[in-house]
Amino acid sequence: MKRIEVKLSLPVVAPLLDLIKGTVDDLGGRLAVPQHLQDLDEELRSAWRNDLLGGQNDDCRRFLALFDREFFSSGTVSFDEDNAESVLRACAAIRLRLRERELKSLPDEAIESGGVDVTRLGEALTKAFMCYVFLATLQELIIQHLDSAILEG
Amino acid sequence: MTMASARTGVAPASRTETELALEGLWRVVVLNDPVNLMSYVVLVFRRVFGFDEPTARRHMLEVHEQGRSVVWIGVREKAEAYVFTLQQWQLTARLEPDEKN
Repeated sequence: MKRIEVKLSLPVVAPLLDLIKGTVDDLGGRLAVPQHLQDLDEELRSAWRNDLLGGQNDDCRRFLALFDREFFSSGTVSFDEDNAESVLRACAAIRLRLRERELKSLPDEAIESGGVDVTRLGEALTKAFMCYVFLATLQELIIQHLDSAILEG
Repeated sequence: MTMASARTGVAPASRTETELALEGLWRVVVLNDPVNLMSYVVLVFRRVFGFDEPTARRHMLEVHEQGRSVVWIGVREKAEAYVFTLQQWQLTARLEPDEKN
């Protein structure tokens, strides 16, 4: 089984985890993306939404499990074909919620082009933006190193 | 051929054709969002639909530049399954009737 270990900077990443955990808690009862389900009858729509929510919660739980005792002692997190898809999806969900809740004052163009001047952001916005970028970096790492395992999955 | 076997042989097929005719074809549409990475969207398209890299990239760019891309057309049940899977991957996806049918 292909596996990658990533050594993260504890002083940089650990302070982000409370905001990430808070965002996961916020996602507990809501979908990260408001979906278009109006073509479905009410019973199917409800089951559909519950299944999506269950999957999202499971993905987020598996993501948070990365930050265990090993992480807090060595700064290391591991990805393999068993957790890669869940972590990718959880990162997407948390980024979407951060964008909606914490980063809504930033224009789309600035975020998409990487044109955000962090020195001009306040403390809370800086932290949210760092979380947003950190999660994207994890996604890029997984896509770069585990894409074949995911595509064969 | 007995009457019973004739019924079991004919009725299900005509019902299926009727259902297909009533339901028509449906489109799986992915809408743009300003959050998900281009590389992520390409991976999701390859994973979900089995697209090759150029096809997945073409659909991703269509979503990015035009705001939406029709990524699959077919019967409703399968289209629903694709939409659900794309939504599990946190893409904004929806089902639309194919107006040509």
